[in-house]
Amino acid sequence: MPSQVFSVSEVKQLLAQGAQLVDVLGADEFERDHLPGAINIPLKQLDGGAVADLDRKRPVLVYCNDFG
Amino acid sequence: MRLETLGFTNVIDYVPGKLSWFEENQPREGKATDETWIGDVADADVPTCGLRERLGDVRGRTADWDTCVVVGPERVVLGLLRKAELEGDPNATAEQVMRSGPKTFRPNVTLEELLKSMRDHDIQTNSLVTTGDGKLLGVISRADAEATLAHEAPAETAPGI
Repeated sequence: MPSQVFSVSEVKQLLAQGAQLVDVLGADEFERDHLPGAINIPLKQLDGGAVADLDRKRPVLVYCNDFG
Repeated sequence: MRLETLGFTNVIDYVPGKLSWFEENQPREGKATDETWIGDVADADVPTCGLRERLGDVRGRTADWDTCVVVGPERVVLGLLRKAELEGDPNATAEQVMRSGPKTFRPNVTLEELLKSMRDHDIQTNSLVTTGDGKLLGVISRADAEATLAHEAPAETAPGI
């Protein structure tokens, strides 16, 4: 499994295979718009408590705004 | 990545990120998704030219436009020619007279947000819409932004609905 993906089709394939989608942007930005099905865990809040709802056995696909 | 230190063994980074997903017209969720985004209405047919093209040649294909975007490979925005530059010395190159580093907007900015920015900064002309890595998606004029919002507004405020 690659640790980086670049295309929409790769994202869709991973989601179809059960990956969990995590948006690491701020809560305001997440509320404004995000990818369908994503959950929000802002990078600054990324700790054991914040990830309690994630399944460690399944892939986790993370994204932020862009390449920057 | 911090998730890996928290016991996750299969963490994958979608490197291009959210904006790239939206640029490819993929589904979106959130409060702003019911609004018009500028990426949906930007005019991709705006004239473009290269750095070394002469204004005399560029003018020949700008027709009714008062804007020409100076781009590099893959339509990465390098500069902007407005009416004043387009009407200048026909032998000058785009690079010599262009406005460098023009302000750009991302496609997920709403039309209302763009219009507010245009009003706040008294921008009367075209605004550029680009990807996160600077590729030109299109332009939107203030007149078009005003007209589109004015067209949408009556439906929201119509009595009895």
